[in-house]
Amino acid sequence: MTMSTQPLTPEIVSQEGNAMVLSMGPQHPSTHGVLQIMLEIEGETVVKAEPEIGYLHTGIEKTAENLFWSQAQTVIERMDYLAPESNSLCYALAVERLLGITDGIPERARVIRVLFMELTRIASHCVWLGTHGIDLGAISVFFYCFDLRENILDLQEAAGGARMHPNYVRVGGLNGDLPNGFLAKLDAFIEKFPGRMRDLRGLLQANPIFQDRTIGVGILSPEAALEWNVTGPSLRGSGIGYDVRKAFPYTGYDSYDFDVPVRSEGDAYARFLVRLDEMEQSHRIVEQARRRLDTPGPVLIDDPKVTAPPKETIALSMEALIHHFKIVSEGFRVPPGDVYQSVESPRGELGYYVVSTGGNRPYRIRTRPPSMYNLQSVKGLAPGNLIADLVVILGSLDPVFGEVDR
Amino acid sequence: MPSTQTPPIAGAAVDPPSLRPSIDDAAIERVEPSALRARLEALKADGYGMLLDLGGVDYLARKPRFDVVYHLLKMSAQRAGVSEVGTPARVRILCGVDGDEPHLPTAMDLWKSADWAEREIFDLFGIVFDGHDNLRRIQMPYDWEGHPLRKDYPVRGPARERAPRPAFANKNNVQAGTPPSGRTLEALQDQVKRVREGGQSS
Repeated sequence: MTMSTQPLTPEIVSQEGNAMVLSMGPQHPSTHGVLQIMLEIEGETVVKAEPEIGYLHTGIEKTAENLFWSQAQTVIERMDYLAPESNSLCYALAVERLLGITDGIPERARVIRVLFMELTRIASHCVWLGTHGIDLGAISVFFYCFDLRENILDLQEAAGGARMHPNYVRVGGLNGDLPNGFLAKLDAFIEKFPGRMRDLRGLLQANPIFQDRTIGVGILSPEAALEWNVTGPSLRGSGIGYDVRKAFPYTGYDSYDFDVPVRSEGDAYARFLVRLDEMEQSHRIVEQARRRLDTPGPVLIDDPKVTAPPKETIALSMEALIHHFKIVSEGFRVPPGDVYQSVESPRGELGYYVVSTGGNRPYRIRTRPPSMYNLQSVKGLAPGNLIADLVVILGSLDPVFGEVDR
Repeated sequence: MPSTQTPPIAGAAVDPPSLRPSIDDAAIERVEPSALRARLEALKADGYGMLLDLGGVDYLARKPRFDVVYHLLKMSAQRAGVSEVGTPARVRILCGVDGDEPHLPTAMDLWKSADWAEREIFDLFGIVFDGHDNLRRIQMPYDWEGHPLRKDYPVRGPARERAPRPAFANKNNVQAGTPPSGRTLEALQDQVKRVREGGQSS
């Protein structure tokens, strides 16, 4: 295993002809995190690119193995920090399937889960669009995007108590019902969104500079997309309409009316358009979910094996107090088995392969990180492009490094 | 290397995948390492265009010790709308390997995406993929020792010498420990002492 202990040196990135080896990152502003790309360049043209990841490795999978099933959710939510609900929902769905309680999740909880999945998708795409714009010199887009995202973070904070990692979705349902005044805020957001979307489109979509930089750049053919295991908007920008929400519907997505935008060009501009269209479709789903929220109901499964009793009962009943203590101090046990659950996160197919040996801690949680596989395709996309276009390609793939490195 | 990890409950000797194979919608197969390569080639030829994911599991007490899990998705490289894609078939292949440095054939030449996934399993589990042309550590630093996701690897990492404490954290260094209020640590300690002895706090 000698080769394993070698750092990446110019000799490993094979050097031929006039090529020169350049290290881009790990502090390069366009890498949106900590990514190093070893580039072999001839003049301004990339001959070979080898991304080096792992700078943000925090051992989340290992940490999660040593926490209770419910505690593991808190670290798992920190993987894709721009779309926390997609992580927690996917994990909760996997554990619910192992527990066999999928059918018992209350309808209202399922609706709110969908609502937040789509809100988080809009928020995540806002960050992507803002930073992608900055990469290409369009600074003002950033402010429009972050203003819109701020509204969503407010909604998240109202419901879950935190802006970034609300830990709102729990195994068995949700942390709590929506607070008073939430629906009014949501209505205001739903009303504001279409105008904002017109602004964003107006700023970039027909902008000749933006089009010059993105049309025909970083073309990902359908064959290459499959080879490199690209999913999500990047795959749909290459003409393959694979969306987990439609292919393997979960938490009631099959009862919502929405389209999955697909474009066949496969370049950075196509991926841009797919994501913009996706934001509008998410808005459609949010509207439908909003209409279903008028009927009140429980948001947590009534299963004493999994959930703690309501807080109000603890002061009144000894049994409830003991029950609460058991759930908090010991966690719940999950029957042995393994399961693969996937959801459509803003970046693509996010999957968890969860193994239980019957204990109160997960035995193994393997993530299928969409960002990591999408980023890996840079190796196939970069050669032949200019270094300046590499920035466009990276931005159009939208990797999040909390998830790439975990 | 002493393990600080909580031992897995109910023993890792149980084989969860064999206990409840029916709760997943994927077809599940268990393949011997010697037959793995042929099976993957056959599936690739059968239209499984995507190697969705590749992960490892360490069942410490079981024989064979490790499982390498392949998730495959049936997808063709044709431009297709959502309705044409429909619900593609999924296959999960579990391959058990044993030993301290297990070997498996690489799938990198079948699906390019196996590259980083195999590097990650090598890095975190120490499973070597023969034929992989760039098998380096990917998440951990290149000179790291051990494979962190193995169950006998302590969760807080190997025992290492602790970094020296910074001067402000040293209790004897009163000057450096002066709190922002201007009161020294000694003054605070005196105050605490007076309260403990029953005197009045100043």
